[in-house]
Amino acid sequence: MRHPSFVWGLGLLLPALLAWQRQQAPGLSNSTIVQVKPAPAPSCAAAQGLARVVCLAEAFKATLSPSQLAEAQRPYTKADAARWSNFPQQFSRPQRVGIALGALTAPQLAAAKALLASVLAPGVPNEGYDELEGNLVADNYLGTATNQTGTFGAGNYYLALLGTPSLSGRWELQYGGHHFAFANTYQGGKTAGVTPDFRGAEPMTPVTDHGHTYQPLEQERAAFAALLSSLSVAEQAKARLTTTFRDVLLGPGQDGRFPATRQGVRLSELSTVQQQLARQAIRRYVDDLDPATAAPLLARYTAELPATYLAFVGSGTMGKDNDYVRLDGPSLWLEYSGQPSRDFPGTVHPHSVWRDRTTDYGGQ
Amino acid sequence: MNPSTSYFNRLITLLVVLLGIGSLLPAAAHPMPNSVVLLSVHAQRIEAAVQIPLTELQPAFGHAVGDSSAQLVQRLGPELRAYLTQHIKLQSPDGRYWAVTVGQLGVHETQNPLNGPYRELTAQVAMVPPAGADVRQFLLRYDAVLHQVVTHKILVAVHQDWATGQVADDAEPAQVGIIQLDVRNNVIPPLPVNLATGSAWTGFRALVQLGIRHIAEGTDHLLFLLVLLLPAPLLVARRRWSTFGGVRHGLRHILLIVTAFTLGHSLTLLLGTLGWVRLPSQPVEILIAVSILVSAAHAWRPLFPGREAWVAAGFGLVHGLAFAGTLANLHLEAGPMALSLLGFNLGIELMQLFVIALTLPWLLLLSRTPAYPWVRVGGAAVAALAAVGWLVERVSGRANELGQAAGQVAAYAPYGLGLLAALALLLTWQRQVRQQPGA
Repeated sequence: MRHPSFVWGLGLLLPALLAWQRQQAPGLSNSTIVQVKPAPAPSCAAAQGLARVVCLAEAFKATLSPSQLAEAQRPYTKADAARWSNFPQQFSRPQRVGIALGALTAPQLAAAKALLASVLAPGVPNEGYDELEGNLVADNYLGTATNQTGTFGAGNYYLALLGTPSLSGRWELQYGGHHFAFANTYQGGKTAGVTPDFRGAEPMTPVTDHGHTYQPLEQERAAFAALLSSLSVAEQAKARLTTTFRDVLLGPGQDGRFPATRQGVRLSELSTVQQQLARQAIRRYVDDLDPATAAPLLARYTAELPATYLAFVGSGTMGKDNDYVRLDGPSLWLEYSGQPSRDFPGTVHPHSVWRDRTTDYGGQ
Repeated sequence: MNPSTSYFNRLITLLVVLLGIGSLLPAAAHPMPNSVVLLSVHAQRIEAAVQIPLTELQPAFGHAVGDSSAQLVQRLGPELRAYLTQHIKLQSPDGRYWAVTVGQLGVHETQNPLNGPYRELTAQVAMVPPAGADVRQFLLRYDAVLHQVVTHKILVAVHQDWATGQVADDAEPAQVGIIQLDVRNNVIPPLPVNLATGSAWTGFRALVQLGIRHIAEGTDHLLFLLVLLLPAPLLVARRRWSTFGGVRHGLRHILLIVTAFTLGHSLTLLLGTLGWVRLPSQPVEILIAVSILVSAAHAWRPLFPGREAWVAAGFGLVHGLAFAGTLANLHLEAGPMALSLLGFNLGIELMQLFVIALTLPWLLLLSRTPAYPWVRVGGAAVAALAAVGWLVERVSGRANELGQAAGQVAAYAPYGLGLLAALALLLTWQRQVRQQPGA
């Protein structure tokens, strides 16, 4: 070659161009992401139950480029399964795995949403799939309000397939971002676990996108408030904790650390009406799932209601700083904590986590 | 070092420290700010700097602290001291408790990227083990805030530990552990602390290194000395700098100046560190800037020919006071302090001699060439500019570009030295060629 410098220059330029291309590639804006609707692959129309979930997962994978697929599809490890968080994606942590919604094209995102919608309750305002969308809209609002759209907003939510979706082995459908974590673990063609499951909201006030108004956690707050307001003074005294909570106890990274001794008042000491109020609060979480998955879980938690403990501290309205409530049963663990908002001073934003003492991450 | 950049550096250091601790501890990731306990480990005692976010303290302390933090210490000082004393306990392996004294309290604003800006209470806490007990082994029974706010977390780290050589102000704190609720058993477990044993030799060596770094990064100290050396090889004629006075004259002169400077700053380093002489840092830093200005003026026109050594000794006294600040901030006990004085001063001299050894030959060579007035006046002008920048900065307390640029010049010193060497060799070679036209 007579011009080695030319080759040298080209050698420098080409990777730079490729890198630039990658940077430009697909990338939907936060506001576009919440507008994309789920589009189930027609080939999955006949499939039912988990077979449909697997079909839609495969259809989603088929839309991805090889490098995107490498991000979204990972081998199943407990370490990756535990790598969820309620924190925004900021700096080097939390290090979520999977592919960001912001890295997908519109058809890819439609396939991803079809997969997510297939495991969540359809058509219930602020519950199930609608709650998931509401969480994205709220985070878009937060990103715009704080001028941090790179940290907050729908593009910073991740979808991961841990293990190959199938009707045989173990795999997990993992989805999450700021204030949201969803983890369905499947084992041998059955649902082995649907927790840890995190829900939060910031802002707590209603948010609207293209005429659709969301308030994703208001029904959860109201359900707990209704339960707590039903307590007599004596019952309150039994259920009331003396310590202060400024967050949930068993957030990310606190796996398996359930208290050895349950605190508060045993629901068997309360009336059946009150127990039904507790069941209503539990349903605000369990019923987020598609009805077929939710039904056996709700049956188990209902059967365990008398042996479940209710503990709380604070105003009982779940609308004040440091308001906290917990349902701790033989298998159920449900916490809801109101904490001061950093970005909207004077308001409260909730963190809430649903765990299961036996089937977190699908159990063992 | 000039005050504004050093405050800035400290702020950056604090940020790095906070972030550093945070990033070391993914399990501590928490949307509510943590408490931080930074330990300074001495031979007979531990000094802790405790930082508690006010929003977290509020529900635990039982008095309003968030609304009027400006007067917090004034208003609730005794209550805060009593509260902290009650919730900070240290216990030796034999079960005996330490003496814990809460010293200075303060409130300051801090921030981290996760929490944004927030205010925190800072407390200096002295912890003294019972007679005969090891200062490096104890159970830390700390539950301030956490006894009430069960979601709170306390990060414990070692900020300074002379015996293991951890003395630099900007060193990353060595993480000791996190104090948090054991949710399973609903108890707050004490944190067992077992600090690696150190030695006086390690501490001494660390101080030599600190002395070396202090000069390497303290552009102003070196600049004063180098500019004072600029005219040292020259003779004076009719109140002007004249020609090269011979290698012997030059060397003798330089040796005198350097020795005088060393004597001067060693004396005040000693006196300042022992606390016999203590000046606030601002006037000291201002005087250092003035000293550079004076030596620059002297390099331009001989102001005090033949009396450079006295001037060097006099200004050495000032520079020594600045060195003493670094050492005094370590708050060491007598034994380690004596070794530190020795080590730190040794480091300073080593670095000083190193720089002089690198520069001197070229100055001596250049001073024999006709280009030397340019080098001398040019060097003096640059130094004067830097000195003016620092002077304005240190008087006004506000950073300016000139001072900041001067602070960064040290990074380019190797290039400057290379240039000086190249110039010296080139001009000397030219001169030799001209002197031997027949060759």
